[in-house]
Amino acid sequence: MYGGGNTFEEVKTDSFSQEDPIKLAEFEARIERGEKIEPSDWMPQLYRKQLIRMIEQHGHSEIIGALPEGTWITRAPGFKRKMALMAKVQDEVGHAQLLYSAAETLGKSREQMIDDLITGKSKYSNIFNYPTFTWADCCFISWLVDAGAIVNQLANAKGSYGPYCRALDRICAEESFHLKYGHHCVIYLASGTQKQRDMFQEALNRWWPPMMHFFGPADKISIHTQVLMKWKVKMGTNDDMRNQFLDMYVPKIWELGFTIPDSQLKKNSETGRWEYTEPDWEEFKRVINGDGPCNKERLEVRRIAEERGKWVREAMKAPNQKYVSPLA
Amino acid sequence: MNSLDPRVIRLPDIGEVGRINPKPALDQFGTYEVFVLPKEGKPFQHEGIVHAPNLEMAYVLAKETFTRRFTCASLYVVNTLDVFVSPLSEGNQNVYDQIPQILNQNSAKVNYEIYHLPKRGKQHVHVGRVSASSPEEAFSIAKEQFQKEKIVYNVWVIQSTAIRYTMNEEKDLWLTLPEKKFRDAAEYKGGEKLKEFLKKSKR
Ligand SMILES: [Fe+2]
Ligand SMILES: [Fe+2]
Ligand SMILES: [Fe+2]
Repeated sequence: MYGGGNTFEEVKTDSFSQEDPIKLAEFEARIERGEKIEPSDWMPQLYRKQLIRMIEQHGHSEIIGALPEGTWITRAPGFKRKMALMAKVQDEVGHAQLLYSAAETLGKSREQMIDDLITGKSKYSNIFNYPTFTWADCCFISWLVDAGAIVNQLANAKGSYGPYCRALDRICAEESFHLKYGHHCVIYLASGTQKQRDMFQEALNRWWPPMMHFFGPADKISIHTQVLMKWKVKMGTNDDMRNQFLDMYVPKIWELGFTIPDSQLKKNSETGRWEYTEPDWEEFKRVINGDGPCNKERLEVRRIAEERGKWVREAMKAPNQKYVSPLA
Repeated sequence: MNSLDPRVIRLPDIGEVGRINPKPALDQFGTYEVFVLPKEGKPFQHEGIVHAPNLEMAYVLAKETFTRRFTCASLYVVNTLDVFVSPLSEGNQNVYDQIPQILNQNSAKVNYEIYHLPKRGKQHVHVGRVSASSPEEAFSIAKEQFQKEKIVYNVWVIQSTAIRYTMNEEKDLWLTLPEKKFRDAAEYKGGEKLKEFLKKSKR
């Protein structure tokens, strides 16, 4: 998933007190036993709503995330890198298809999701609102943004909703290729010429702040968050995910001799937690609300693609088709 | 539009920034369920869905969406509307206990494919075929033939003629999969290069 920084709805704590208490107890018992929830099961409104929102945002992030990398396919250095990047970008768009389908089983149509992305009603991972100036920026995404996504996705794959977990299992299997490929690219830049090393160092300097934003602001543990955790919608706090990412990847970045642009960054050997300069959450808010360097371009590219594809969809439309939610 | 990407700059000026007409229902087409046979000798399993305007297109899109890597021996698709679904059970309840016995009806019989959900959260797996005069009867015969000790949580029944199978002459669609190494994590081993780099940077 791109972006732990999922925006969960602020809900008053009594918003599920109107649910049928017997059904709610059965539902919670099922999750407690470690059984998955399937689309035809009864579920609380809050559960349905938050899952649709989360899965849909995840799907949008895959689609929009394909743009800053996709733009480098034709300029990737050499035939092998072009083939690999093309395969990766295709995977990402495929992930969106899997995720939209999972969200659809909860009752939101794909038409609606696509419209909500284009009109800005639904969000996607903030990090893709930044530009990829050089090939090294593209490599940063392939390796480290995907690494962050994998931390989130592996956690969410243990969640409670069957269709989302199945989609994530498929996605994680493909992500292992993305991660290996991304690391491979960066190793080659690191062991290349001074110019190549500088190129990646500059990309790292540009991308580190949005990477720290990636997992979202520290969560205030509200009763609301506790409920989502009990229902296994939210599988860890944003800070836990960020810490896990730093734990796994900071040593790998340092190993390659690069400098992470945060003089405060170090692991506290007593707490086992990473310490860092507090990310600029004002910038995060500003960008997520539309004022980033590429927000407009990303949505325009998606919107124009949709407009241009209209005649094809019209031409292929089968008048006798009927719509039902997919099964699983 | 101003962009770093010349292809974005070249995009035509259509519509209105930030606006799109709400899509009519089925703009994104109906859904089809996709089943894949990962290996000869294994059962078909449900992999997910695709949106498509018809069965044939669903087949093409399913191939692209679900069989890009690893191995695939066969694939088929069926319209979601053609799948008959049993209730869903939980805990240690076998869903077959909820399926009524239907007396043998004597009208013309056709084939139905039967699928089990062996565990909540897992995929539906093909278990076999029965001959019946209605989907209800197919459930009932499946109960006789396929109910074993192992708990089944959900059963799907699909009339065989509704399925778009892979034809024999199409089986070579996946022959080149093992050659597509560029999709494979194992192709990107950076270990040697990294070791070399670390050795050099120590000096
Ligand atoms: Fe992805
Ligand atoms: Fe990615
Ligand atoms: Fe990825």
